[in-house]
Amino acid sequence: MATEPIMRVENLSVVLDSAAGSRPILSDVSFDVAPRSVLGIIGESGSGKTVLSNALINWIHKPLRLTGGRVLYQGRDLLALPEQAMANLRGREIAYIGANPTIALDPTLPVGHQIVEKLKEVEPGISEANARKRVIDTLDAVRIPSAVRRFDEYPFQFSGGMMQRAMIVDALVSNPKLLIADNITQPLDVTVAAQIIRLLRDLQSAFETSIVFISSSLGVVTDTADDVIVINAGRIVERQPAARLTAAPEHAYTRELIAKVPRLWAEAETPEPSPANDIVLEVRDVERTYVVRDRTRLFGENRVRAVRGVSFDVRRGESFGLIGESGCGKSTLSRLLSSIEQPDKGSIKVEGRDIAGLKGTPLLAMRRRFQLLLQDPYNAIPAHASIGRTIEEPLRIHGLARGAALKQRVRDVMTEVGLSPDLYDNLPVGLSAGQRQRINIARALILEPSLMILDETLSALDQVEQARLLALFETLQKRHGITYLYISHDLAMVRRVCARIGVMYLGRIVELADNHTIFENPAHPYTRTLLSSVLTVEPKPFLPETYLMEGEPPDPIHIPAGCTFRTRCPFASARCATEDPHLLATAEGNGAACHLEPGHLPPSSLLPAPAGRAAACLET
Amino acid sequence: MTDIALSARPRSRSVAHRILAGAWATTEMKVAFFIFAALAVLTVVAPFVIDASATKITVADRFLPPIFMEGGRYPYLLGTDQLGRDLLLRSLIGLRNAFAIGIVSVVVMFVIGCAIGIYSGYRGGWVDVVLMRITDVQMSIPVVILAITILGMSRPNAFTVIAVLVLASWPAYARVARSVTLAERQKEYVRAAKILGASDLRIMALHIAPSILPSIAFVAVLDIARMMIFEAIFGFIGIGIQPPTPTFGTIISAGTQYLLNAWWITIVPGFLLALALTSLNLMGGVLERSRNLVLQGQL
Repeated sequence: MATEPIMRVENLSVVLDSAAGSRPILSDVSFDVAPRSVLGIIGESGSGKTVLSNALINWIHKPLRLTGGRVLYQGRDLLALPEQAMANLRGREIAYIGANPTIALDPTLPVGHQIVEKLKEVEPGISEANARKRVIDTLDAVRIPSAVRRFDEYPFQFSGGMMQRAMIVDALVSNPKLLIADNITQPLDVTVAAQIIRLLRDLQSAFETSIVFISSSLGVVTDTADDVIVINAGRIVERQPAARLTAAPEHAYTRELIAKVPRLWAEAETPEPSPANDIVLEVRDVERTYVVRDRTRLFGENRVRAVRGVSFDVRRGESFGLIGESGCGKSTLSRLLSSIEQPDKGSIKVEGRDIAGLKGTPLLAMRRRFQLLLQDPYNAIPAHASIGRTIEEPLRIHGLARGAALKQRVRDVMTEVGLSPDLYDNLPVGLSAGQRQRINIARALILEPSLMILDETLSALDQVEQARLLALFETLQKRHGITYLYISHDLAMVRRVCARIGVMYLGRIVELADNHTIFENPAHPYTRTLLSSVLTVEPKPFLPETYLMEGEPPDPIHIPAGCTFRTRCPFASARCATEDPHLLATAEGNGAACHLEPGHLPPSSLLPAPAGRAAACLET
Repeated sequence: MTDIALSARPRSRSVAHRILAGAWATTEMKVAFFIFAALAVLTVVAPFVIDASATKITVADRFLPPIFMEGGRYPYLLGTDQLGRDLLLRSLIGLRNAFAIGIVSVVVMFVIGCAIGIYSGYRGGWVDVVLMRITDVQMSIPVVILAITILGMSRPNAFTVIAVLVLASWPAYARVARSVTLAERQKEYVRAAKILGASDLRIMALHIAPSILPSIAFVAVLDIARMMIFEAIFGFIGIGIQPPTPTFGTIISAGTQYLLNAWWITIVPGFLLALALTSLNLMGGVLERSRNLVLQGQL
């Protein structure tokens, strides 16, 4: 096909100016975007992906500076266009979606109205009723449930996945010729990310839009794009069709990148089984219900049952994982476990001592034993305090050290987590997410806890930085015998580090088993659904076709009767509608809350190594 | 394990130091500070240097123009008022009083207002509702009416003037501090502090206050100028510090009667006040910009 490319980038170069001189961010980047195609761009964080995506819409600002090159769109150089002409193109013909939908929407206006506003901007003549209809139609097209009602809702009423869909609508409503999607699946759950990607592909063929799809996750890019560009340190190192890229990478960097993608099945790295039997954390029948006002009735109340009877044990020195979609009660559970909130019912025993209901000095003393690491490295450390001061804080709170001894301990712990002690008096500003997360770790570590709860601690980081921090966690575990509780939606990470795993759905653990069972032969359909939506570069044992799941979990106010998963379960029977299944553990401590007999689920589509089993698989 | 490139170079200076240094690097700051410092020094040394009295009435020397005009004479550098008192000296003493009242009242209203605001925002619930209704009530009373009521009934002096200004203006600080605290207490670092075991008081004083007060403090510098204007207004309508102590308000007010023949009685204190206010406003603005730059990592 010798068609004219929709966008051509020629020798694009961008530098970053700073007091220390200018550093190249993009050097000599050239590529074409073919019409009606999806071009994937992959690179680690810091490789210049986001700068590139901004350069495509001529959005380069100080301290970044363009030093050369052209971005040709329909024969015009966008970089040379006057600001007004560029503003007319942006949003109208070239749309852009960023990684963070929560800040891209105005929280004070209903979502639909914001999109109508945008539509009126690009099509000044359109009537109010027409605009409204078009937006609702497009909201329908991206499968936002009951779009008519959602039109008048505010961003805070939307979940992250729905907001990202709303952003896609916002971008597509003007029928752009080119859509630039910068890391749009990064903050989303696997199931939702899979839906968004499927959606983008459908829309791309329906709207005849070309897409530049930028991501740091190889699995996502190869699943989405036709062609993939690999970018490293501001240079394009390789361009190949997506399928060939993973099969026959040419550049050493690409091979390295592929090797770094965590494998869930083929040659998966898994942790050793839990060493000891000594129980560090014992959670029994914990419940937490929030009472919120029902805005549709005058004195109505809604009961949000966020955690509904969760029980599990974590053994000393092991890594325990809790996985599930957002909204499944993971975050509430982490608040209960870190004793920011008290459970309504149940007990949480840390080293044999119940912390539910503990207050004052005894609680303060117990807090040294368990620490929670938060997700957002940008907000979890105060911007106004120096790094050293931030790490000092726990020692000061607990009165554990002072003066020179205090500073020395802070320096030691900084070194231990891989932060240079020279940064002691620096503000955290300018540090990368990974470095900030190290501050966070140092602050928890300095109290020498025996249990660390990692609530999505690594999800804001790219894979390389994640791998480094996981290695750090491992070292710390070996050195100090720390027990970790990983709360995450990142299945690849959980596969790599967690010996035992609990799967949460709607405030309850639906399956609890060892790493091997969860990933290779899970007994609960929900676990299989989760695994089927993972975007990876390897063949999957559970295919989305079999375990297809649409939409999002039911909201925890209106929990369905019977089995809570039956509304999304492809195998639900009449029994599921009336009887709530219980989690029954086997002798090995594995179990699932499901009425299906073991073996009644479709077998793994992945051909396992032993020939006999493979044959059995083929027969069925 | 130190395998990460250190993008920021190590710094040993404190944050406050960097903000001040950044501000000092600008010309506006230097000019404004020079004017402010010169005025401050003058208000202190003037009584010892100027060979005239601010309060002694000398009928023979009434309405003398400034020394550079015809008829002006030493030691009355900027002329005399309707009672033959040295205008420069009176204006400088007025400025000293205005400075003192402006600074003291802003410090007090800042401390009280922010403390109440942070507490209200952090605690929330009925405490918040009650405290904020009190601020509503207070804010619904215009400053001048409040001043006339209180100062008109008592004998006004520096303390009562400060008290009125604080009473009238603390709610603004409380409201701003509260609204910022509401946003701040949701942030992860507050949660992190709770997990570490910090008490509520510690979180309010050591975590929330340092992150929200600086931006309010830089606005407060501008408020000093506003309070000085109020002090002048009170003096002008006769409810400020009472004669014979010179204040801007009383000097300007008396001067308005002689505006055609002896304009300098109004212009000299007015000019000094304007100069002082400009320098304060400039400093407040530059400091705030510098702080923003430091927090964004650009300084």
